[in-house]
Amino acid sequence: MVRQALLHSAAAGILALAAFAAPRAEAETLVTMNTSQIFSTVDPSKISDYTDYMAAVNLYDGLVGVDYSGNLKPEIAASWDVSADAREVTFHLRPDAHFSDGTPVTAKDVVFTFDRLLKINQGPANLFAGVLKPGSVAAVDDHTVKFTLSKTFAPFLATVPAVFILNSKVVQANAGSDDGQTYLATRVAGAGGYLLKSWDRGSQMTIVRDPHYYGGWKAHPIDQVHWIIANDEATVKSLAASGELTMTSQFQAPETYEALAKMPRMKIAKQDTATAFYLKLDAQKAPTDDVHIRRAIACATDYDTIRSTILPGGELDGPLPKVFADYHANDLPKPKFDLQCAKDEVAKSKYAGKGDIPLVLQYVAGTKFEEDIALLMQSNLEQVGFKVTPQPDPWNRVTQLAAKVDTSPNVSEVFFGPTYPSPDSMFFTQYDSKAAGTWASLEWVNSPEIDGLIDKARATGDKAQQVAIYKELQHKLVDMQSDAFLETQTVRHAEDKCLSDYRAIPMQSFDYDFKLYSWNCN
Amino acid sequence: MEFLLFLLRRVLWSLLVLVGLSVVIFLIARAVPGDPARMALGPTATQEQVTDLRHKLGLDRPLITQYGLFVAALSHGDLGRSLLTERAVTDDIRESFAATLELVLATIFLALAAGLPLGIAAARWKDRWPDTASRLVAILGAVTPTFFLALLLQLLAGYVLHVLPTTGRLDPADPFHADITGLITLDSLLEGRFAVTLDALRHLLLPATALAAATMGQMARLTRASMLEVMSQDYIEAARAFGIPDWLRVLKYTLRPSFVAPLTILGLEFASMIGNAFVVELVFSWPGMAAYGIRTILQKDLNAVMGVVMVSGAFFVGVNLVIDLLVGLVDPRIRIRGARA
Repeated sequence: MVRQALLHSAAAGILALAAFAAPRAEAETLVTMNTSQIFSTVDPSKISDYTDYMAAVNLYDGLVGVDYSGNLKPEIAASWDVSADAREVTFHLRPDAHFSDGTPVTAKDVVFTFDRLLKINQGPANLFAGVLKPGSVAAVDDHTVKFTLSKTFAPFLATVPAVFILNSKVVQANAGSDDGQTYLATRVAGAGGYLLKSWDRGSQMTIVRDPHYYGGWKAHPIDQVHWIIANDEATVKSLAASGELTMTSQFQAPETYEALAKMPRMKIAKQDTATAFYLKLDAQKAPTDDVHIRRAIACATDYDTIRSTILPGGELDGPLPKVFADYHANDLPKPKFDLQCAKDEVAKSKYAGKGDIPLVLQYVAGTKFEEDIALLMQSNLEQVGFKVTPQPDPWNRVTQLAAKVDTSPNVSEVFFGPTYPSPDSMFFTQYDSKAAGTWASLEWVNSPEIDGLIDKARATGDKAQQVAIYKELQHKLVDMQSDAFLETQTVRHAEDKCLSDYRAIPMQSFDYDFKLYSWNCN
Repeated sequence: MEFLLFLLRRVLWSLLVLVGLSVVIFLIARAVPGDPARMALGPTATQEQVTDLRHKLGLDRPLITQYGLFVAALSHGDLGRSLLTERAVTDDIRESFAATLELVLATIFLALAAGLPLGIAAARWKDRWPDTASRLVAILGAVTPTFFLALLLQLLAGYVLHVLPTTGRLDPADPFHADITGLITLDSLLEGRFAVTLDALRHLLLPATALAAATMGQMARLTRASMLEVMSQDYIEAARAFGIPDWLRVLKYTLRPSFVAPLTILGLEFASMIGNAFVVELVFSWPGMAAYGIRTILQKDLNAVMGVVMVSGAFFVGVNLVIDLLVGLVDPRIRIRGARA
């Protein structure tokens, strides 16, 4: 009797739960993707990080965009001219370009956008420091805008895609006392292919396709994109299993990709990227101030194990990833794991014969693969005469220690990718002494020769000359062993088999521009 | 009069606690490694930009001046701008606090709804099977780590059964702005959007259950222990001798005086969950204040860190004050003793 009552109760409970838990209806072309970080801002004058650009590239358009090879492509500007001395760049706007509210995009909007960027002096403004100043951007007519640079700056055109054009009327009408910063912290005033539907900073953002987008749409476009802030692996798995997730972030654990690959509707997409993974070697601090010690560390690095087992990635022979095909020095020696070489280099160093050589190896705390690499390095280096202290630090401490050479560790595991599609982004930020004191420049190269070459490449508009300079830079940095060049990052996504056209783009997170994607199922 | 003096003393003590908290957190937040301006602007920012932002944030001034500015702004209800979200911290907290409050209220409701009957049943049928079953459930609830239960529920509901949503507060296909109280369930009811209410309840069920288990266990155990103590009193025996019905004896004469300890625990749990719900919030992508607080600490977003801690602290102190008053209402002896103290 009791058993029967229990069975009835259980059945009633399940029915009630089923009614309560009615399945959700989903749009046919809804892509749901998880991200590991929140979207901080979508204000084009303040965005600086990967996640923010992921949203902004869908909500706004720039004068020019970037294609899969890193070349510029027309967006709001249909074409552009560069003067012979590369000091003047003129953009010709598409006459049919319009903002999401239907207002035509004019040269006045471009001028307003850049003036506001320089005034606020945050986000991508750093790309134009010393190159643009108030008044440098002028409207020639409604559809022509001219940039007059303060000096020849060869990577200028490559930096332009980082700035998205604002609807000046809307922003000026809502400028308040902070140039519209409060307004644009939660709203969009752009000409992008998608409109902001809802945004809850702590949990999600949803954007919907603007059918009136001036740029037009390819066949089978994505109608709606929904980002969920979720970096817990179990959450990602359960979202995928319940059919809620269409595409994972690129930051999932290997076992999550394996689990998702077994789901019939999912596939794993892999792409080599322009982001490089380095062991940055502090050239100013003992004992890594000795080039032989730095070479010993490079020789004691087991590249194959790291690239094939610990964190699958692509080949990296020097400071510049191969994605920059025209500029990459293909004749660089390939890094090789050779403990005898490491011993020989230690013997040549000024620290030889003084007992074990102490070395601090920093990695980001809580990152399993970085810990594995640190332990592998410790094991290898201690066979050739080093005493390695692995130092796991939270990211904010990494940034603090990087500010001074005294506090920087000897060796640091760091990823760095270009913020604009030019080799300059890789060389200036990491190796120029003017950019020293950040986590990206933990090598502390501090070399007038390197600085001179970077400046020289910036000052010429001649591509052949730039190619020669950048190749020379690669050889010099490899020769001074600024880093141990671990690998290029291979991004992986688990994604629905119906979703196609994800391809890496060597700039910020421009590869998540969903205008480029399509949905191939009914 | 005595009670008013008691209340005044408690309020003054609470204010003192908040001032102490603000000083300690102000110093700790600045001792956390990392330059907030550099972290906000990224590695490609020029030194001039970093210096400019440090100046705008007042970080180039002496600590005592910075604290003075913070207190002056706080007195106007201004907590500054968040470097993480580029918005006023008060706006961030208003939204995230409402999300956490809704989760915690649902949690308390579940803990009370399950814990109290379990405790009463265990005491009423001491050493019989309801007691054993109740104690087993209570202990399991109390000892199961919240993160483990959260993941278990999520996997069960999302991965195996596919019956309940596993992230967020609402289905994104049907956005709803909770502009009245910030609590989606309440605001949607007030606006007559019952489908939204149901959807919000579906989203609440898993995180609230995960968060409620431990409190439910504690409630059941404490209720049982308190009731057993009261049941051994002579007046209960007298009530039995007078033939007062069993249900009346248990629910009125036993439960009410037994409720002081569970109520106190419930109040403390309620207040502490506001700050401690981060595990559940992160697992279920719940946009609450605890998860917001963690992100701001990692980003060294000083204004936001101060704001979160001060709001959590004020809430904790406030709830404790209310609990003291409620306990006094439930048991007048405590009120009198408190007033004389």
